[in-house]
Amino acid sequence: MTNTTHEPLTADLVDLTNEPETKPEAIEQLLDLAVESGRVRDREQALEALQAREAEATTGVGMGIGIPHAKSEAVVSSTIAFIRAPDGIDFDALDDEPVRLLFLLLVPADGGEEHLQMLSSLSRSLMHEETRTALMNAESVDDVESVILEAIK
Amino acid sequence: MIERTVTVVPENGLHARPASQLVEAANSHESQVTIGPADGDSVNASSMLAVTSLGVETGEEARLTADGPDESAALDAIESILTTTE
Repeated sequence: MTNTTHEPLTADLVDLTNEPETKPEAIEQLLDLAVESGRVRDREQALEALQAREAEATTGVGMGIGIPHAKSEAVVSSTIAFIRAPDGIDFDALDDEPVRLLFLLLVPADGGEEHLQMLSSLSRSLMHEETRTALMNAESVDDVESVILEAIK
Repeated sequence: MIERTVTVVPENGLHARPASQLVEAANSHESQVTIGPADGDSVNASSMLAVTSLGVETGEEARLTADGPDESAALDAIESILTTTE
C-alpha cells in the first residue's frame, strides 16, 4: 500500500446512483466506496469500528444528516465518502428526522484529533441550509466534491 | 438566564456518548440551553449537529447558558455529563 497523500474526498468516493434503504445498508455502501478506492486495508475491521461507534451513540446528528465515522488501523488515509438517500432512512437520529445526506469519515489510527476536526468542520458547514440544499440537489459528482471540499477547508 | 463554565472531562471531548447525552439533557428540559467555547460563539445545545460542530476537546472549557423555568436543573444535568469520565 502506498503512502500517497490524497484529498480526503475524491470523485470515486461519491456515489449518486445507489440509494440505501436502511442504516446498515448505508454504512456498508459507504464503506464499499472507501474499500474500492483503496482507502481501507481491512474492511471487516473498519466495519467493526464503525458499528462500535454507532452502538455508543448514533451518528444521526439531526437535520437529515448521518455521519458514521471511525478511527482505525484498518484505514490507510483520511477519507470522506458520500451517498444520498432521497426518500430518507431511519438512522436513529436524535431529532427523529429521516436521514438523506450520508457521510462516512474514516481516519487512520495515528490520525490524532484529525477525525474530530473533520467532523466539526463538516458539521459546521452542514448547519447552513444552503450547504444541505446544494448537496441534496447536486447533479454531478464534481458538484458534490466541490461543496464538501469547501466545507472542510 | 444563568451561565456556567465547565472543563470537559470525557477523554474524547464533546463527542459520541457524552455529546448525545448532552443533547438529550438539553431536550428534556424546558429551558433554552446553549453551549460554546469559552471565547467563541455558542450554539443550541439541543441540536446534535450544532454540538458536533463545536469540536470541543477534552480539557477545554465549555460555556453553558440556560434560560427558562428549569434552567438550574438543566445546567446541573449537563455539567454532570461534561465532568464525568466516560
